[in-house]
Amino acid sequence: MARELAVNPGRCTGCCTCALTCAITHQGEFKLTGAFISIARDEFEGTFTITFSSLCRGCKKCALACPSGALRVVDVEEMAEQEG
Amino acid sequence: MYGYSGKILDIDLTAGRIKERPVERDWAREYLSGLGFNARLLYEEIPAGADPLGPENILVFNVGVLVGTTVPTASRTEASALSPATGLFGTANSGNFWGSELKFAGFDGVVIRGKAAAPVYVWICDGQATILPADHLWGRDAWETVRRIRRELGDGAIQVAAIGQAGENLVRFASVENGPFDAWARTGLGAVMGSKNLKAVAVRGRGAVRVADRKEFLQAVEDTRKAIFSSPFYGSFSRFGTMLASLPYQEFGALPGRNYRLGAIENWVETRSRKVLPRYSNRGVACVACPIACAHWVDIKEGPYAGLRLKDMEVTPVIGFGAGCDINNLPAVAMVTETCQRLGLDMVSAAAVVAFAMELYEKGLIGEKDLGFPLNWGDERATISLLDIIAHRRGLGDVLAEGVRKAAEHFPGASKYAVEVKGLECFLLDPRARWSTWTLGYITNVRGGDHLRTRNPVENLRYNENPVPYLTEKFGFPEEMYERLDMPDELKKDIFDPVTRDVNIPKMSRWAEDLIAVYNALGMCIRPPVLHTVGPTLFARLYTSLTGIALTPEEVIRAGERIWNLQKLFNLRHGEKHADSDYPSRFYEEPVTAGPAAGRRLEREKVREVLREYYLARGWDPDTGVPGAAKLAELNLQSYTHQRS
Repeated sequence: MARELAVNPGRCTGCCTCALTCAITHQGEFKLTGAFISIARDEFEGTFTITFSSLCRGCKKCALACPSGALRVVDVEEMAEQEG
Repeated sequence: MYGYSGKILDIDLTAGRIKERPVERDWAREYLSGLGFNARLLYEEIPAGADPLGPENILVFNVGVLVGTTVPTASRTEASALSPATGLFGTANSGNFWGSELKFAGFDGVVIRGKAAAPVYVWICDGQATILPADHLWGRDAWETVRRIRRELGDGAIQVAAIGQAGENLVRFASVENGPFDAWARTGLGAVMGSKNLKAVAVRGRGAVRVADRKEFLQAVEDTRKAIFSSPFYGSFSRFGTMLASLPYQEFGALPGRNYRLGAIENWVETRSRKVLPRYSNRGVACVACPIACAHWVDIKEGPYAGLRLKDMEVTPVIGFGAGCDINNLPAVAMVTETCQRLGLDMVSAAAVVAFAMELYEKGLIGEKDLGFPLNWGDERATISLLDIIAHRRGLGDVLAEGVRKAAEHFPGASKYAVEVKGLECFLLDPRARWSTWTLGYITNVRGGDHLRTRNPVENLRYNENPVPYLTEKFGFPEEMYERLDMPDELKKDIFDPVTRDVNIPKMSRWAEDLIAVYNALGMCIRPPVLHTVGPTLFARLYTSLTGIALTPEEVIRAGERIWNLQKLFNLRHGEKHADSDYPSRFYEEPVTAGPAAGRRLEREKVREVLREYYLARGWDPDTGVPGAAKLAELNLQSYTHQRS
């Protein structure tokens, strides 16, 4: 069954585990700048914006590492059901 | 180096000179990083008799070596200096993103020495450091300082450690704010920054942290995640954060109500506990790499504080201001919290100082004519006014800015209302109402009156029982929790009763202090789901695979013990006396007056006995609390003397 990355920015807590995981997976070292996913944190508003770069290879490691449910790996059918 | 950036910045503000020093491999093995490096630097560089607010004091920030990776909760940086509050080892720990940003900028730590001729801030970016003028920031609050620095340097991701007006005016309980909402709060480090004319340290880095053994490290990270997620406290802590403790404290009658007189407060559950938290907050905000996200985003939508938005509805201000000063609703506590964050005040000490002043007002020792306004219990507007005159040292605020111990000297008969240990205000859980490893920590803590360096990793908040008075506390968890605890078997058998599993408090205190020293050295957080589940075995795997420097679990915990002992030696050099490790007189002489613990007080003789047991567990002289030559040799500290000043 096809699996896709589902993004729910409202659940993001801003921990950036996704970006650190992306960097160690694809670049072999930990960093926040230069990962294929980035989290822009508006600290005074408590909001977080998730952005994927065009270099993202769709490996979904970020979603497997995300502890908050902002990024999830889901079955395509399940996603279609949720979207009604 | 792997794991480490390999360099520590050394900034002399008097000379305007910036140097770099390498991280020595021997230092890494013996002191790890973070608190460990701070202990070594402070011991080596600050002489006896130094003035905490003089240029001879140094302020040191060191990041935990695990920070900048995906190790869960590895976000934390230790800041230390000779404390203006206690005159002893001043130290505080904070998360958020400042530490990871410093590592990505290419540094493990920053040492700041001397005093600038005029206000400055330090800008650290991608391997370079610059001292910039801060005249335009001086006098501004910490929130505004963070905003302005980000704006003028043109990058919203810059992390800023800043002082507010309290630090500028040398308030002895001023914090160093870590961004707008977090802080290195305790022991007055903000005043040290102010004394150096240093408004802020701003950091930004686009570099990386390298890993020695990637495969094993990522496996160790995964095992750490699983361990934390398996804690029975993970779900509830993630949902309620530290506010979890707001209910049991009321049930035990252990709140510090009205300056440690009322152990329980009417309407507490309906007005100030976690039960009302969801009305104001429905989501968490995380530090870097943290899966718990214990800090709550607060959004006040109605009432006099409608529009207030901030991170943090933590048990610390809720109990400090909500119980200590009897401010009876969470939005008002949030308003006071924002005031402390902006002015740059340690909320624990600030709440204690306000409660102390409110009691003086009640007793008629100070009056409206002294203050310019009435100061009744529960009045948040008066609280904010008082915090403002303290931060600016105006009028009576100048006296209260010295903290409760020194302020009490100005009012005849007031010392019995000053609740502090070693000069540091203690303000959370009343030891008369609940005696535990936590509360013994108030007097064994090298930095003074709080529990945060001595927490039982299997503390059970469902119980308030001491099967052997003063000596043991109830375990009360399923046997599996005992089995899983990451602690050497022989030590487990020594600390826990073989049949009942009751916990020996002085022995657990020693273990907890050494363990938490490791947490503060490596940069992980001591929130209960972590402290329960992550110990020396996982630490050794994480450290070894990240850095390539092989450490065993025994060597890791031995490093914690070394760090603790070195802080103690620092204190002895700076005049700590045996009698300083004691509770304030109120806990012995006055019983709690309301709630289930009403009538209880501490017994001085029992406290001395349990303290003696603690010294024995530490391998220190049981009568004086001084580490002996054998213990120092065991820790490779034989070259460090332990003379009292």
